[in-house]
Amino acid sequence: MEQLTVEMIWVMIMIGIAIFLFIVEWVRVDVVAIIMMVTLPLLHLVSPKEAFVGLSSNAVVSIIAVIIIGAGLDRTGVINKLVTPVLRIAGNSPSRIIICISATVATISSFMQNIGAAALFLPAIQRISKKQNIPLSRLLMPVGFCAILGGTVTLVGSSPLILLNDLLVPFNLKPFNLFDVTPIGLALVASGIACFILLGRFILPQGDDHEAKEGNDTASGEHAHGTEEMGDYYELSTPEDFSHYRDPLYVEDLRRRYLVNVIAITEPPDFKIISPSPDTEVRSGIDIVVYGHKKDVNRMAESEGMAVKEAIERFKSNLDSLNSGTVEAVIAPRSWLAGKTLADINFQDRYRITPLSIYRQEETYRVKLDDIRFQVGDVISLYGSWKRLKELQQEGGLLFSLPSDTDYMRPGKAVWAGLWLVTALVMIMGFKIQLSVSLMTGALGMILTNVLTIDEAYQSVDWRTIFLLAGLIPLGIATEKTGTAAWIATTVLDIIGTVSPIVLLTVIGILSTLFTLVISNVGATVLLVPLVVNMAIAAHADPRMAALVVGLATSNSFILPTHQVNALYMGPGHYRTIDFMKAGLLVSIVFIAVMIAMISFVYGV
Amino acid sequence: MAIITISRGSFSMGKSVAEKVAEKLNYGIISREVLLDASNHYNIPEIKLEKAIHDAPGILERYSHKKQEYISYIRSALVDKVVNDNIIYHGLAGHLLLKGISHVLKVRITANMESRISYVMKRDGISAHDAHALILENDNQRRKWTHSLYGQDPWDSSLYDLTIRIDKLSIDDAVNFICQTAKTDGFTTTEKSLQKIKDMALACHVKAALVHDFPDIGVTSEYGNVLIYLKPKDHVTSKLSKRLDEIRHRKGTIYNLEVHAGIPIPEDAV
Repeated sequence: MEQLTVEMIWVMIMIGIAIFLFIVEWVRVDVVAIIMMVTLPLLHLVSPKEAFVGLSSNAVVSIIAVIIIGAGLDRTGVINKLVTPVLRIAGNSPSRIIICISATVATISSFMQNIGAAALFLPAIQRISKKQNIPLSRLLMPVGFCAILGGTVTLVGSSPLILLNDLLVPFNLKPFNLFDVTPIGLALVASGIACFILLGRFILPQGDDHEAKEGNDTASGEHAHGTEEMGDYYELSTPEDFSHYRDPLYVEDLRRRYLVNVIAITEPPDFKIISPSPDTEVRSGIDIVVYGHKKDVNRMAESEGMAVKEAIERFKSNLDSLNSGTVEAVIAPRSWLAGKTLADINFQDRYRITPLSIYRQEETYRVKLDDIRFQVGDVISLYGSWKRLKELQQEGGLLFSLPSDTDYMRPGKAVWAGLWLVTALVMIMGFKIQLSVSLMTGALGMILTNVLTIDEAYQSVDWRTIFLLAGLIPLGIATEKTGTAAWIATTVLDIIGTVSPIVLLTVIGILSTLFTLVISNVGATVLLVPLVVNMAIAAHADPRMAALVVGLATSNSFILPTHQVNALYMGPGHYRTIDFMKAGLLVSIVFIAVMIAMISFVYGV
Repeated sequence: MAIITISRGSFSMGKSVAEKVAEKLNYGIISREVLLDASNHYNIPEIKLEKAIHDAPGILERYSHKKQEYISYIRSALVDKVVNDNIIYHGLAGHLLLKGISHVLKVRITANMESRISYVMKRDGISAHDAHALILENDNQRRKWTHSLYGQDPWDSSLYDLTIRIDKLSIDDAVNFICQTAKTDGFTTTEKSLQKIKDMALACHVKAALVHDFPDIGVTSEYGNVLIYLKPKDHVTSKLSKRLDEIRHRKGTIYNLEVHAGIPIPEDAV
């Protein structure tokens, strides 16, 4: 066995630090990657050139191109157009709806970033859920899982697979082609959908039942699990002497004291204000419309001396569902709202939309919403006129559906977008041109044909993903170059003794799954690929297959809501961590079994 | 109709003043009972509570949060006692523990050093020098206590509505001043200030129920809507959410309970 050198020890320390930082999250994952990128050349573990080679790697260029192509498809509304025919095929059966949408999302996800596909479909799924009366919790998890599984269908579907060929270069192994993984990926998607169709009732939270149960929970049912029934509209009037002998009462006071949202108010002599600002005073002899739970409204009416009307009278025409309504908007990945509070952006004055509540990780917030700092995946319930909500939607950053979601931004460009995607694929498959070059051609084509502008293309690129990938590549190089990977591989093999290739691949699959749950999928891939390739060589198994198992199994991230897609869907689906554990465990086990079976079937291991 | 807190420099006749004011206004009067209540209710030996509210935190205590915990218990007991109004509290730190309630009249009584020394000499039968040292030590402890927990100096007159020095003014003069002031409009109990102290009582209960395990939280309440503030990096652990569920079901007056993390704890939080 090779001698353990000082350099190897250094590399192992750096790996340890990276894993530690990934887990504790003192700094964001991409910053960890940059720390590695800078520290490794300083410690002379890689050359300065190698330290930044990741930035010009095939993987990074490919992912930039994939993101731009995805943004182009998004802008043309191609995705929205898909929903209607898909729904027509699906009909009314929930199972068929799940199958059709999941399959569509998986297909799109195989050419786009998973999180992008998941975010793109969220509003559509919300709409379907409402229209077909299926609880969102029954739809979102299957679709989210399929968005992740779809990443295994092509070599550009997910970051680990995009990286794979770059990681194989130091070993002089034959690179994979775009569709080499497709049979395995399709089997994985199919098995994922099958899990939910066959066993959905056991592994998915059944929204309706929970809601029914919660109705009886009087103390404060909102904190319990499940989608919360938000409330209803009530019109009230204040007596003529309402503001006599009392401190001024403001709209915001009513929310803080009684959890009741004022969505419309009259101002003497006869002005009607929809979505009044929080500092609007509640005067004598006026009408207000509030949105809230009946018990809250009654409590307010009683203690403030207001009269609850039988029905909406004064604001009947304004509050018509044709003009206004409530939506559940989700903070999108990379949203400009993330990290900000409603107060920061002066939300209510700016948009004239009333925030009703915020939902995050099993907690519903109804008081002092202005102070809450948004996180990606937070669900914010909003009331406003469709027109104002549309304006908000156009600003981006929030995912929600509106009844009028039929007009697209640049529908005329859909053909061009599709054409350039096909061109890129033909270049890859037909002419065997390198992935990065082909994809970049597609991206450039979209820009030249005005599917999206160059600035929009730049803006769509997520620097976090780029630096996460590029920063970790040198760590992979150092692991290989210093012989650390080989040393660990032989040491581990010495301990466990000889194993058959199938057992080895299964162990690698399980190991990758565990890694991807705690450190990012990219981190897991970079650390594990050099290791498993060495192990496979030492154990006389196929090193390419070992690497492929890592590339695939790092998408096996279902047991905890750590994957971006799961984190995004957790809020809107009102899932708890335990829901992910239940469904995720089953899907993860099936994933590994199907993956190993398919690899041995397709590649004859 | 008010709540009067009388804070005093040690051995400054505060107690006599408090008793006479109570008699004149026909108010209730409390002092050590608060410690006793807290001790019974939260099952902490009275001596520990007394030490917590009297002595400045030692070096180790600054990190153990024990002092804050005991003070939360004392505060909860105190607010419960005064919530029904018309009461005088002449124990320690009343002006700080009841901060933010508009109908609380905060009075500080001091006396000149000579009379304080002679009072101590007579009471304890010690020399003038020893009496002086004892008074200084006591004052110093109070100063350190207030400073370490609230960042303020008890001798800062801006903490009080009325500061009276018993020297040329007699105890009876002081009593008259206090009674007059208590009747002015500014200290009248209003619906709003009453609601505020009820909310403070509720917030204190919640804080007292959680402070042992979660010393860093801040709690506010408005019309029975309780908000728990966590420090920026903290998040709701399963332990906390379990405890919150208990609280939700136990306290009848809580209307809604939410946890807000990642934002500064407001100043009026208990």
